[in-house]
Amino acid sequence: MGSLKDSAVSGSNPLDSPVKQIQIDGLVVLKIIKHYQEEGQGSEVVQGVLLGLVVEDRLEITNCFPFPQHTEDDVDFDEVQYQMEMMRSLRHVNIDHLHVGWYQSTYYGSFVSRALLDSQFSYQHAIEESVVLIYDPIKTAQGSLCLKAYRLTPKLMEICKEKDFSPETLKKACVGYEHMLEEVPIVIKNSHLINVLLLDLQEKSMVADKHELLNLSSSNHLEKSLQLLMDRVDGMSQEIVKYNSYCRNLSKQQQQKQQYLQRRQQENTQRQSRGEPPLPEEDINKMFKPPQAPPRMDTLLIAGQVNNYCQNIKAFTSQNLGKLFMAEALQGHSS
Amino acid sequence: MSRFFATGSDSESEESSSADEITPKKRIVCCPLRFRFEEFTNIIKTIRNAMKIRDMSKCLEEFEQLYRAFLKSKTIMDKEGVPQFYIRLLADLEDYLNQLWEDKEGKKKMNKNNAKALSTLRQKIRKYNKDFETEIASYKEVLNCSPNVIFTLGTLSLCQDEESESEDDEESEDWGSDSVDSGGESEDNEGAAASLAVVFLKKYKDDRRKRHKKMEQVDEEADEEGEGEEGGWEKVKGGVPLVKEKPKMFAKGTEINNAVVIKKLNEILQARGKKGTDRSAQIELLHALAGISNENNLGEGILVKIKFNIIASLYDYNTNLAAFMKAEMWKKCLECIDELLDILFENSNIFIGENIAEDSENLAISDQPFRVRGCILTLVERMDEEFTKIMQNTDPHSQEYVDNLKDEGRVCGIIDRLLQYLESKGSTEEVCRVYLRRIMHTYYKFDYKAHRRSLGLQGETKSEQDQEESEGEDSAIIMDRLCKFIYAKDRTDRIRTCAILCHIYHHALHSRWYQARDLMLMSHLQDNIQHADPPVQILYNRTMVQLGICAFRQGMIKDAHNALLDIQSSGRAKELLGQGLLMRNMQERNAEQEKIEKRRQVPFHMHINLELLECVYLVSAMLLEIPYMAAHEFDARRRMISKQFHHQLRVGERQPLLGPPESMREHVVAASKAMKMGDWKTCHSFIINEKMNSKVWDLFPETQRVREMLVRKIQEESLRTYLFTYSSVYDSLSMETLSEMFELELPTVHSIISKMIINEELMASLDQPTQTVVMHRTEPTSLQNMTLQLAEKLGGLVENNERVFDLKQGVYGGYFNRDQKGGYQQRQNYQRGGYRNQNQSSY
Repeated sequence: MGSLKDSAVSGSNPLDSPVKQIQIDGLVVLKIIKHYQEEGQGSEVVQGVLLGLVVEDRLEITNCFPFPQHTEDDVDFDEVQYQMEMMRSLRHVNIDHLHVGWYQSTYYGSFVSRALLDSQFSYQHAIEESVVLIYDPIKTAQGSLCLKAYRLTPKLMEICKEKDFSPETLKKACVGYEHMLEEVPIVIKNSHLINVLLLDLQEKSMVADKHELLNLSSSNHLEKSLQLLMDRVDGMSQEIVKYNSYCRNLSKQQQQKQQYLQRRQQENTQRQSRGEPPLPEEDINKMFKPPQAPPRMDTLLIAGQVNNYCQNIKAFTSQNLGKLFMAEALQGHSS
Repeated sequence: MSRFFATGSDSESEESSSADEITPKKRIVCCPLRFRFEEFTNIIKTIRNAMKIRDMSKCLEEFEQLYRAFLKSKTIMDKEGVPQFYIRLLADLEDYLNQLWEDKEGKKKMNKNNAKALSTLRQKIRKYNKDFETEIASYKEVLNCSPNVIFTLGTLSLCQDEESESEDDEESEDWGSDSVDSGGESEDNEGAAASLAVVFLKKYKDDRRKRHKKMEQVDEEADEEGEGEEGGWEKVKGGVPLVKEKPKMFAKGTEINNAVVIKKLNEILQARGKKGTDRSAQIELLHALAGISNENNLGEGILVKIKFNIIASLYDYNTNLAAFMKAEMWKKCLECIDELLDILFENSNIFIGENIAEDSENLAISDQPFRVRGCILTLVERMDEEFTKIMQNTDPHSQEYVDNLKDEGRVCGIIDRLLQYLESKGSTEEVCRVYLRRIMHTYYKFDYKAHRRSLGLQGETKSEQDQEESEGEDSAIIMDRLCKFIYAKDRTDRIRTCAILCHIYHHALHSRWYQARDLMLMSHLQDNIQHADPPVQILYNRTMVQLGICAFRQGMIKDAHNALLDIQSSGRAKELLGQGLLMRNMQERNAEQEKIEKRRQVPFHMHINLELLECVYLVSAMLLEIPYMAAHEFDARRRMISKQFHHQLRVGERQPLLGPPESMREHVVAASKAMKMGDWKTCHSFIINEKMNSKVWDLFPETQRVREMLVRKIQEESLRTYLFTYSSVYDSLSMETLSEMFELELPTVHSIISKMIINEELMASLDQPTQTVVMHRTEPTSLQNMTLQLAEKLGGLVENNERVFDLKQGVYGGYFNRDQKGGYQQRQNYQRGGYRNQNQSSY
């Protein structure tokens, strides 16, 4: 659990973003984990606020606090008020009080959603350097801490600002599902004193404490992932069908329009030859209203989510294969 | 009006008494109502004026008016004879016209219009006068001998009103002798009515004064009838408290014969349907008439005729078709029909039929058989319909309903008697119709007697046994006989359809499943029932439901489910069976439609218990669906057998807190849950317990047998479910253990498992020596299942994607892609085939 290593740095290179690296205090990680264990269960999601400050191109997250769980009873609960109050209180005890983003737990990696996009957009719009930390409790429970930081790419920010998700704009902007979120590398930094303690604990801890890493059972996790993946694939299919019918309608209408124009023209030439005045021009766009294009953002999100699931499953299976081979070798050795 | 009428007739009778011998025409002159009279005289006056000035067009116009006026008062004329002045005019006019016609010169002088009018008028009057040839001839004769007399009489008739008033009292003494005289004379008097009038007059002499004062308040009926009748008759009805006086309709001494009674009957009937006619009084009148004709032994012919009319006017009592008859009225009607049938049975020489024309009726006693117009079948059918209406409109939970229902036996009795009657006399169509009535009263009743007999239980006591025997044949035999007759003879499709449906229903009700099913399949009704009218469709629905319930009783769960599926899946079972209206907003159905729908409702005593129906359906759905669900747990393309059942399951799941089941549905849902786990004992206890017994199972005639069947089914299906659900957990299973778990005999378990293996539902083989089931473990694990599903979904996704691509690329790309798609599918098939082969090879 208390691994000192950075989590994997993906190949994304944040070029023009103000934050190129994130440094997280061990305290924040523990607080997030604790928050989930106390309040989150199953597919429920917990969220909270990250506090810290920007140093050069590095974002240091030094503290955090959770959003309170919503209940049906207190409708008049003011979240913003609560956050301000909280931050003010933290400042009083001399803790970094700058809002630098938020964190969220995830269930089998299902976090690429409209809600996340919207809230991250509003964060990034207000505070440029803000990030979202995604914490995967299930993977963590399997023995490897999984904490990832994401930001929206500048392209996506542009599109979100425009609020225009039509196929054309997305095509023009060249935004694919892979260009939606950028991952920012994370470093977990602890004070030297804590490092010493950890080293000490490492010495003392038994192999048995780490046996989660060696767990060979895989079907449960895979089944869940597959289920979620299937759900998204279904969603994707639906979106495609929608888009398909849109395309067909559009082309049909184009044809009709063409025919109409042709007829008009023929008539006009006839009239001209007879010496009559040509027919008045009518507003063609009014007659043929182009069908409403389905917003493509959902498709993008779903594609991103599917991609995410696939990555997860791939990683999981490759790990598991390794474990299985190891186990086989061990068995062969022992027998 | 009637006052004038009365006085007019007074004067007439006075005349006839005093100046009887002077001239027979007098009577004719003085009868018509004053207003008619005036109308006529006015027209005649103008005609005469026009004649004087030779205005032919005016003449023609007026003549046509006169003709119309004459037609209007034709009824009076028929009785009274044509008034003399009218005849006179006709004769004069004709003479005059002929004269003009002859006068060539005068004709030439006439203008074109007049000439034209003259020729038309001449033709018309020639044609018209043919009807009055005799009268005109006699008039001319009289004219020739003593023209003066007539004129004096004409004036006399006008002033007679006043005279008679004053004379009445003075002459009252004389009436007695007169009446005796006329009574004696009546035999040779051609108009018996006239003398009768005389007799009546005497009776009313005394209250004449009072009557004159009261006349204004006398009800409209009197007026109406007065118009249609002779003076003497009129007074009978108008002036006297109606009912009590009726038996004296014919005064003593009057010979009452057929002609008189028929005339009277016609008079009464003429008032029928007219506005303001007191219908109950009319019925009373007819009853009285029937009594009189009976007393005077006028023969059954006339009695039958009167009875027909009584029943008809009883039906007429309610003018609104939608309203139902009062039970009392209906009972009267029932009695009447009963009496009518009595008469018909006693006298085999009465022919009745709708096709006998009024004038070819033979009502008098003679050697020839009676011929009466009327259709008893229609009357009985109407009576039956009224019965249904009464039942529809009675609160089914009241004592009144029970009381009314008791009359059903009488209805059946009447139908039976009619059936006997028509079997000997009626045409085939009539027999078919009455058979259908009989069937309609039989098909829904469970024949307990036959049921007990089939069980081999004789009646406990000797007397009961006797009673049983005397009660006649089983309803099944009756149904069979009647229906087969209809199948063979009926030519209208509707009667046959109804008969088939009733027959099936009856079979199903008595658990003769195979006969019922075969009949249903042979009739091919399922294909074209949607073209039938709604009542037949309702009957069809009832039959299907009964068929389903019958299949269930026989343990044919699948058939039961199929039969009930259509009715239950719509959620409108109540409406489809005609057992009540669904609450709907008024936009979908206006008041008129609602009335029509209400009229289609089946009376309560014929209802099929809806809860029983639903329970049967749900239980059979459970027995089918739960094993199916277990078998196809991972199948992506699993279809639901019963939506309704799934709906109930979902409703059960949505409950936040699950208490012990209360309603029938909750019981079934709870049982389904138990069955899903293969726990047949719990399932059993949910399906068969005190509550369910009282709610559902006890409603079956063979409760015990049904329950046993049900337990058995539950055990079997639970075993199947258990094997489906848990086969992946076992390597091998001992059949003995299974038979103990499900309390089934070893052979049964063996057969069930063998069947599952043969159907490839269970991948296993039987090991004979150890009596165990060895699982093959070839079923894909859930993960594999999931991946298969995912692959399928991805296939769909790719296909959809390609379609988008197609659009972009045009036809050529589409062709290319389609080819590829085929390849993809082939590959998939290949994989599946390989999988299947693998399965089979491992047996």
